[in-house]
Amino acid sequence: MPRFHDLEVTDIHKTIRDAVVVTLKPVNGSAAEFDFTQGQYLTFRRDFDGQELRRSYSICAGKNDGVLQVGIKKVDGGAFSTWANEDLRVGDRLQAMPPMGNFFTALTPEADNSYLGFAGGSGITPVLSIIKTTLEAEPNARFTLVYANKGVNTIMFREELEDLKNTYLGRFSVIHILESDAQEIDLFTGLVTPEKCAELFGSGWVDVKAAKTAFICGPEPMMLGIAQALKDHGMDEAQIKFELFAGNQPGRAPQRAAAAAATGAAKTATITLDGATRTVEMDAGKTVLQAALDNNLDAPYACSAGVCSTCRCRVLEGEVEMATNHALEDYEIEKGYVLSCQAFAISDKVVVDYDQ
Amino acid sequence: MTSDTMSIERYLAEGGKLSAPENTPPRYRAELMKLMASFVDSSLAGAAGFADVINAGPGIKERIAAAKIVLEKIDNADKVLRVMADFGTDTARYANAHPWAARLPRDSDIGAKRTDQDMRLAVFNYPLQGWGDAVVMNLLMGLAVGVQLEELCRVSYQPLGDAFREIAPIERHHVDLAIEGMERLTDSADRAELQASLSYWRPRVAASFGQEQSDKFARLQSLGLRHQDNASLRQIWQTRTDETLAALGLTA
Repeated sequence: MPRFHDLEVTDIHKTIRDAVVVTLKPVNGSAAEFDFTQGQYLTFRRDFDGQELRRSYSICAGKNDGVLQVGIKKVDGGAFSTWANEDLRVGDRLQAMPPMGNFFTALTPEADNSYLGFAGGSGITPVLSIIKTTLEAEPNARFTLVYANKGVNTIMFREELEDLKNTYLGRFSVIHILESDAQEIDLFTGLVTPEKCAELFGSGWVDVKAAKTAFICGPEPMMLGIAQALKDHGMDEAQIKFELFAGNQPGRAPQRAAAAAATGAAKTATITLDGATRTVEMDAGKTVLQAALDNNLDAPYACSAGVCSTCRCRVLEGEVEMATNHALEDYEIEKGYVLSCQAFAISDKVVVDYDQ
Repeated sequence: MTSDTMSIERYLAEGGKLSAPENTPPRYRAELMKLMASFVDSSLAGAAGFADVINAGPGIKERIAAAKIVLEKIDNADKVLRVMADFGTDTARYANAHPWAARLPRDSDIGAKRTDQDMRLAVFNYPLQGWGDAVVMNLLMGLAVGVQLEELCRVSYQPLGDAFREIAPIERHHVDLAIEGMERLTDSADRAELQASLSYWRPRVAASFGQEQSDKFARLQSLGLRHQDNASLRQIWQTRTDETLAALGLTA
C-alpha cells in the first residue's frame, strides 16, 4: 500500500503570477520510490486547522531531467494551492505518496512516432513532462502541442516551451490558442472548441492522421470537445489519453461521533444505496454487507475477505467493528469508511451509505 | 480555453474518461470495482476449471493449447487485478481469497445468479465433463468474452480500457484454439456427445450476458461503464455462435 514520504523543497519559483514550480528532494532514503514515469502525479497531504487535506499535482519534469518537480496553480479558495503559492519556502518539508497515474504510453527509441498534446491552463503540467521525456527518448519523434490559455500572461512554462522548440528544432511545435488576446492568425484566438479543432485539423496546422497518440489535459468540456473532434477526424478511442485535473476532490465532512455502546442482539441497519434508503433488521452475527444482500439490496462486493475494498461504505451513525482490513488506509477509516463485508454492528442502530 | 466547469457525472455521461482513482465518484468506484472483480473472478475460476482438463487432452498439441489458455487467463486476471490495486486492493491476498476450482453439481440450476462467495459469472460454477465438453464450453464462452470485451474496451476508466485492449486479442486467440479443437473433435468424436455439450452450455453461456435490468443499465451507461445493453450483446453472440457452429457442421 502506498505510504507518505518526506520531501524537501529545494527550489521554488513562479512560472506565472499565480503558479509556482516546486522542486522536491526525497529524504530518508526514499529516492527510489519517487522514480516516476512521465505524466504521473504526486498526492500531498497537509494539516489545515486540524483537518487533513490531500491534493494531487502533476509532475512537470521530464523523466531524465534528474529532478522531481511539480507545478501548482493557485485555485480560488483552494487551501493547499494558496498555501503553496504564498507560504511554502525552500527548506520546508512536504509529505507525498510515490508517483501515481497512467497518463503515458510506452516509448520506443527506434520508433518514428508523431504525437499530439492538448492542454488547457495548468493542464500543461503533465503534458510538459510527456513532451520533454518523449522528445529525448525517441530521437525521431515529433510532437505538436495545442495550448489553450486566457491570455499571454497566463501561459505557464511559456519560456520553457520556447526553449524546447529551439532544442528540438523541427520536431516540436506549439500552437497557443488565446481566449482574449488577439494574435496574428485569427484561427489562434478564441476557445478550443470542436469547431476550432476541426479548423486546425483541416488546415494542416495539426496532422491527426499521422499521430500515434493524443494526450489531453484540461477542463472537462474542453477535453470532451477535443476528443470528439479527434474521433471525427479518424482517431481511434484507444489512441486518446485523458487526464482530469487532479486534486479536484470534493471536501469531505469529518466523521460523526460514534454512538453510545450497544447492547442486545437484534440491530437495525439503515442502508443508502443508489440514492435510495432502506432500514433493515440485522442479526448481530451478520455483516452489514450480508444484511444488505439478504434484503435484496444490490450492494457491491467481491472478495468478501477484506482485501479488495469493492464493498466500501461510509458509516454515518452508530458504530461498527471490522473483523479484518487489508484494503482501507488509515485516513479512510478516520473518515468513517469501512469494508461492509467485514463490518459488524456494535451499536443497536447503524446508518451506512454506499454512495459517499 | 473554455472557462465553464462541469460535474464529473455530466462529464462521464457525455463520454469523458477518467484516469486515476482520485477522480472517481463513490458510486462510480463501486460499480467499477464490481466490474473488475467480476472479470478477475471469472478469469481465475475459468482458468482453474480448465486446468483440471489439461491432461484429458487427446494429444500433446491439445494439452499445450489447454495449458496456454490456462496460463493466459490467469495472466489476464492479473492485468485487471493490477488496476484494482490502485484502488487499495491487496492483490496477493485477493488471488487466494476463494477456492477458484470449486464447482457446483452439473445438474444444479442457478440461472444467472452469482454465488455469495465471489463475483464469478454464474456459468463458471458449472463443472466441465471431459475434454470434448471443455472445448465446447471454451468455444461458446470465448465467443461471449469476445463480445463482452468489445463492450468493455470502451469503458470510461481509461487504465481499465487499456488493460482490456491488451486482453482482447489474447482471448480472440483462445477462440481460434477452441475452433481448431472442435475441428479435430468433429472428425473423430461422437457428434451426439458434442451436441449434448452444446445443448448444456449454450443456455448457460447465454445467461452470462445478464438480465434485462434497464434501470441498472441506464445508470451504468450514464457513468460510461456500459454502452450496449445486455440483449444486444447477447444477440451479437448468438449470431456469431450460429455462424461458427454452422462452419463446423454443428447446430445448437
